Amino acid sequence: MKVLVTVKEVAAVEDEFEIDGTAIDEAYLEYDLNEWDDYAIEEGVQISESEDDVEVVSVTIGPERSEETIRMALAKGADRAVRVWDDSLEDAEMLDVEAKTNLLAAVVEEEEPDLVLSGVQADDDGFGATGVSLADEVGFEWAAVVNDLELDVEGGVASVRRELEGGVEELTDVDLPAVLTIQTGINEPRYASLRGIRQAQRKEIKPMTLDDLGLSADVAESDLEIVDMYEPETESDATLFEGSPDETAGQLAEVLRDGGVGQ
Amino acid sequence: MDFALSDEQKQIKEEVARFAENEIEPVAQEYDVEEKYPWEIIDKAADAGLLGAHIPFEYGGADYGNLESALITEELFAVDPGIGLSLTSTSFGADAIMEFGTEDQKERFLEPIPTGDAIMGAAISEPDTGSDVSSVSTQAEKDGDEWVINGNKMWITNGSIGDYYVVLCETDPDAEGRYNGFSQIVVESDRDGFEADKITGKLGIRASDTAELMLNDVRVPEENLIGNRGMGFLQQMQFFDETRTAVAAQGVGIAKGASEAALSYAQEREQFDRPISDFQAIQHKLADMHTRTEAARMLTYKAAWNVDQGEDITQLASMAKEFGSRVAVDVANEAVQIHGGAGFVNDFPVERFYRDAKITQIYEGTTEIQKNIIARELLGKGY
Ligand SMILES: Cc1cc2nc3c(=O)[nH]c(=O)nc-3n(C[C@H](O)[C@H](O)[C@H](O)COP(=O)(O)OP(=O)(O)OC[C@H]3O[C@@H](n4cnc5c(N)ncnc54)[C@H](O)[C@@H]3O)c2cc1C
Repeated sequence: MKVLVTVKEVAAVEDEFEIDGTAIDEAYLEYDLNEWDDYAIEEGVQISESEDDVEVVSVTIGPERSEETIRMALAKGADRAVRVWDDSLEDAEMLDVEAKTNLLAAVVEEEEPDLVLSGVQADDDGFGATGVSLADEVGFEWAAVVNDLELDVEGGVASVRRELEGGVEELTDVDLPAVLTIQTGINEPRYASLRGIRQAQRKEIKPMTLDDLGLSADVAESDLEIVDMYEPETESDATLFEGSPDETAGQLAEVLRDGGVGQ
Repeated sequence: MDFALSDEQKQIKEEVARFAENEIEPVAQEYDVEEKYPWEIIDKAADAGLLGAHIPFEYGGADYGNLESALITEELFAVDPGIGLSLTSTSFGADAIMEFGTEDQKERFLEPIPTGDAIMGAAISEPDTGSDVSSVSTQAEKDGDEWVINGNKMWITNGSIGDYYVVLCETDPDAEGRYNGFSQIVVESDRDGFEADKITGKLGIRASDTAELMLNDVRVPEENLIGNRGMGFLQQMQFFDETRTAVAAQGVGIAKGASEAALSYAQEREQFDRPISDFQAIQHKLADMHTRTEAARMLTYKAAWNVDQGEDITQLASMAKEFGSRVAVDVANEAVQIHGGAGFVNDFPVERFYRDAKITQIYEGTTEIQKNIIARELLGKGY
């Protein structure tokens, strides 16, 4: 069985930063593994630890710098990695969901995984759509916002629990091959062990260009345009409840009910 | 010349720092106040695969060198020296087994370290033997196929919680030459006649276990002798470059933790309607602390890198150890000063760094001994 885990290097801004037109200057950005993807990697590695003959392949779309991030996936137990990049992608202002879908779909065709795990969303651009869009493109079954997963490898079925709005959860079975978008909290991502970090240096990260994937440069073209970038106004409003736990719990429940959180 | 860390080294730093921040920082104060051994953190570090970094690959370690070990030590000590030492010391004494041990000894004594199944220690110091290591008086006598050991070992890290120790003993008192006649013998803590007394009331690194070992007619099989009989002192000496560089890295870690804490406090704390970091007196302190920390770091990395190249670096290792520990003490002192009254209580970590820093000037050869060594090397006086 082959599990493909999509990972992304996300940008985070420092406390103080400056916006230059429709972008943030590189000097204020730090790059890290997307939080959701950390859970997806863990889920993939746990599958390979509990089932026989599972290969976990990690894929990212990103410049050479992102190898540092994808190596973390290898250090945590992924067997090998694929990194998609191309000079023509370098020039694109933004890779939208459609572009990523097409790039990843080409990788899926190449790798033919039984299961694709992606994060629910990326911490920076936050489209929250790539996983499902990919499933649609390659014709796989899918389940989004998965917070529990049980796999019946022989039967080719993933039994998942999905998080829906309003605290409702859905239990459902998905036939493989499938794409699951993984929610934080599904597991407890491990630390990369020192041995793992050491071994990861010798694992393969295969670079793939658009040519290698049989795609042309227009894959990066987008109907979307970033027209403005600004810091949203923030306001905070804190209510402090005082009194015994009995009293304050009641007050809190009321606020939650009014806010539409409770049922 | 190349001053950059590799991607792999950066990853090690990052992951260890993440562990320290998530798992150690929240409990550091508790273990310090209660002076208790951090079993819970040891277990987590074992699960995470962070123990025994320099143990060879075939015995379950990561086979990392002194530079990587220094990076790990630095990140752990920057968060909490007491728990940091507890984690890095589970393999104390393993160097001798790696270098001089038999295959059987390596399997028995090295393999359980990275998994956290055993903790070891190095027992050299005695009540009457500190700076002058050649005055060791613990006796090991051969009786049939066993060694019978008698004597007391003092200040032994992991002494009351460990599973076995590499003990420096006198085996041949009649040997000629001041440094001959000693041997390194592994003593397990579950042998009859082994007793350990935990030493409490320590100024700093209070989470780390320190104990006096009392060895009364302790019998161990002759296979527990490491390397060659009579060569123990000389074997031990080969690792001073490693162990001193490791303490230098501890100093760098403490200085890093203290200087960063001071920097962020100085930007938050306001007096006279402005952050105290606006005052030049505070700015100069911060500039000095960070500059000296960086200088100590460079000296330490250079020492570690050279040891990894297989160089003999007696003088450089002593320079790094002496300077790194001094910078730790000075920087922690200034960090408390910048915190004012808040630095005098344990609400902030700088109070702990201030107490913890001192040990780095004492163990693995005091500051005075390091300076003696540097001067001896400079003057070509031998030893
Ligand atoms: C927390 C802790 C953990 C330790 N862990 C271990 C361990 O795991 N294993 C182990 O074997 N030991 C351990 N030690 C012991 C440590 O290595 C010794 O304390 C250290 O070597 C100093 O020896 P001493 O305490 O006997 O001091 P002394 O040697 O008595 O020194 C007292 C003072 O005299 C000075 N002095 C001594 N000789 C000279 C000289 N020739 N020239 C100038 N000044 C001199 C010293 O610098 C010092 O200032 C530990 C100690 C502590 C406190």
